[in-house]
Amino acid sequence: MHHFLVNFIQIDVGIALQVVLLGFIGGVLSGFIGSGGAFFMTPGMMNLGVEGVVAVASNITHKFGKAMVGSRKHGEAGNVDKKLAVCVLITAIFGIQLAVWINSFLFKGGAGHGAAKGAGANLYISLVFVCILLVVALSMLRDVLRPSGEGEEGSGPSRKIADFLARFNLPPMIHFKVADTKVSVWILAPVGIATGYLAGTIGVGGFIGVPAMIYVFGVPTAVATGTELYLAMFMGAYGALSYAFQGFVDIRLTMLLYLGSLLGIYLGVYGVKVVNERYIRLVTSVIIILCVLSRGIAIPMYLRQLGYLAIDPGWDKYFNLVSKFFLFASGSTGTLLILYHVIRAYRQRRGIQKSLRVIKPVSTQTV
Amino acid sequence: MPIVLISSSPHGVGKELARELERKTGWPMFSREQLVEQAHDQGIKLSRLETSIVKSPVIPEKLAREKELYLAFVTAKLCENAREGNLIYYGRAGHLLLPGVSHRLRVGLGVPRQMRVDNVVHDLRLPPEKAAEYIDQLDGDIEKWVHFVHRQDARDPVQYDIFFNLQNMSLANAAVLLCDTAELPDFRPTPASTKRLDDLYLAARAQLRLSEDEHTRGLDLGVRAVGGVVTVTYMPRQEAAAQSISQVLQDLEGCQENVCTMAETNLLWIQEAFDPNTENFKQITRLAQRWGAAVELLRLVPRSGDAPVPTASQAQEEPRSQKPVKQVYTGGVEDDDTEAPADDGGLADTQEELVAIGRSAGGFTVVGGTHEIIEAVEGNSHYSLVILGNLFLDKAAETRKRQTRELGLSIRDRLKAAVITIDELQSRFMFGKKQALKALVYAAALVCLYTAVFHFQDPILNLLGGELHAKWKWAVAITVVVFVPLVAYTYSTVTGLLLKLIDID
Repeated sequence: MHHFLVNFIQIDVGIALQVVLLGFIGGVLSGFIGSGGAFFMTPGMMNLGVEGVVAVASNITHKFGKAMVGSRKHGEAGNVDKKLAVCVLITAIFGIQLAVWINSFLFKGGAGHGAAKGAGANLYISLVFVCILLVVALSMLRDVLRPSGEGEEGSGPSRKIADFLARFNLPPMIHFKVADTKVSVWILAPVGIATGYLAGTIGVGGFIGVPAMIYVFGVPTAVATGTELYLAMFMGAYGALSYAFQGFVDIRLTMLLYLGSLLGIYLGVYGVKVVNERYIRLVTSVIIILCVLSRGIAIPMYLRQLGYLAIDPGWDKYFNLVSKFFLFASGSTGTLLILYHVIRAYRQRRGIQKSLRVIKPVSTQTV
Repeated sequence: MPIVLISSSPHGVGKELARELERKTGWPMFSREQLVEQAHDQGIKLSRLETSIVKSPVIPEKLAREKELYLAFVTAKLCENAREGNLIYYGRAGHLLLPGVSHRLRVGLGVPRQMRVDNVVHDLRLPPEKAAEYIDQLDGDIEKWVHFVHRQDARDPVQYDIFFNLQNMSLANAAVLLCDTAELPDFRPTPASTKRLDDLYLAARAQLRLSEDEHTRGLDLGVRAVGGVVTVTYMPRQEAAAQSISQVLQDLEGCQENVCTMAETNLLWIQEAFDPNTENFKQITRLAQRWGAAVELLRLVPRSGDAPVPTASQAQEEPRSQKPVKQVYTGGVEDDDTEAPADDGGLADTQEELVAIGRSAGGFTVVGGTHEIIEAVEGNSHYSLVILGNLFLDKAAETRKRQTRELGLSIRDRLKAAVITIDELQSRFMFGKKQALKALVYAAALVCLYTAVFHFQDPILNLLGGELHAKWKWAVAITVVVFVPLVAYTYSTVTGLLLKLIDID
């Protein structure tokens, strides 16, 4: 084995197929949920033995190409506020740079204690992953489980934060025509940095970017999603450039992910059309919680590798196995549920195409 | 005589102008407040919808349905009274109601801000600064309302027939002018505008009836009515409700026939003449089947300057929106409008064919151009695709192309839907020989890319993170950023084409 394979894993047919499967499940979930699918693919690759930083780097590179293809369609539908995207991007670059720097530092042994190389970065990535996604999933689940009457009263995302911040009117304010909103640079900057930081750290910037655009900036949902995808293209390019410069991008993983994800994403998007909104959110939150659980189970392993926890190293494989099980179980169950609806709808379309025509008998008509 | 729709802001003088007009003409007057109260009594949760529009950037599905019901309720009430004669209506965005009815007189009012502030000070006993803030807030909220409910910009002057600036004009004089304007022949009912009113009335009542019945309440339905034929589209997941829809509409007054089509979305096909035996028809129905969509036909009869002009009598007699000739129902009594056009441009036959294959979302004729098309479809504009067929047939090829393109841009702008021409249909959405060849070429390129990378793993990994990388860091980074989208684009093209082949996209 060559020395550069220290960063990159050996890929045999079995591993390759698992990465393609990860890509497929991630793609289906991504198309269905509207996120990048990194919350599944990144930990999945880590479970296959890929270093956290390489998993993040390969995934952000994968996201870049995917966003480039996808944002074209959103652009045609008029859902992209390019000015907003550029403004967020400028600040997000600082966030990405910060993330790349921290990840690289920890990977190169910044955590000290003579720890296994990469364990510090793995622990850090896992902790950020667990904290952020737990908040996202629980908020989503709370929304779904809210009694229907209350849900109606609450009537969708609140504008409380956007309205509260708008009161300050901190200059300079920027008007975004497509999104039809005005945002202070002082509010835009921290949101951009946070989005970039999360995209660079765990590859899920959209989980912060989209809600922030909706809740904090007051951007319509369709425009928030389209703009985020447009933004993801540039952030992905910058992330890919930075990580490739550091030598962490495994292009083989990126290509294998594409094999599954670009097919899966079509099926996921198709699923959105045939499943109701509440169900989508329920499935999403449960899948994310299981992914969080899966990553949480791996944390003691990294703590041991760093010398913070005294447990038998032989347990590592069990932690890894259980973590992998939860991840694949959540992803596979979610994907199967989605595919079930997709196939059912596909058969319905083919089999039950009908127009029922009823003509009233003349005698019963009232004209 | 017309239906006078006065668009007035709160604490403006719309109410006073309407009263003045009522006093002069004796026409019945309705206010938005009255109708809102009645809608509330009918169980339409309007206050929740208003709160939602103001407070949240996203409207939940259930409340979006309330919007449709509210519009149906207001439309039904106005049509019910307008059918008996004239009427005056005033209220928020009143000028946007009853789209496509040519004998409505849409009135805008420019009220000096200070006058409104004074009114608030007087009505609500607020200090002037607070009153001004209150007015601004209110106007902002109303703008959001109009944007969501009517998908229009209330400030767009094109929406009004007459606009009064009350800075230098008294209400009494404005009312006099309004009375005179109302007398103009332009605002007199024509057979076409009366039919349009009847269609709106029937569709609104059908929608309300469906919302009241326990079997059909809460369904996502698209309801349209043309000449006594009510077309309802419903989502595939609500398939069980199809039978109930027909039963619920069975004894609806004025409904001679109803067609229920299962559809996730609608395609709008605009053309001057239809023929179910053409290749275009086959392509569109195939696309509709693939998308689970219903096809709505709009036959455009261009007006003067655009295409053959209907004669004066035709313009009077031919309804702006009319049902296909073959479906004209006489009930044993011949209609007064005996000059219904004999040539319906193949609309009826094409619609029959669509019903037969289960993809019909109705069909109608529009006389005019872009403005008339938008007015006719605006209330039902949930189209995922608008297809512009053969239009402006009397023009030279270049002019036809330009006018079609301009029409497409206007429709896309107003309806926020994707618009393509019939010529683009094959290349964009269908799988033919060209697409098969493209898929093969891209697939071959893809195989080459993957083979190269996985066959030469060692040198590539050396380049990505080994000694070569240390020497050529920037070059490697740039290569990765260029190479990855290339792979993504090639593979997504192949995948997209193959999914098209099996009818999933």
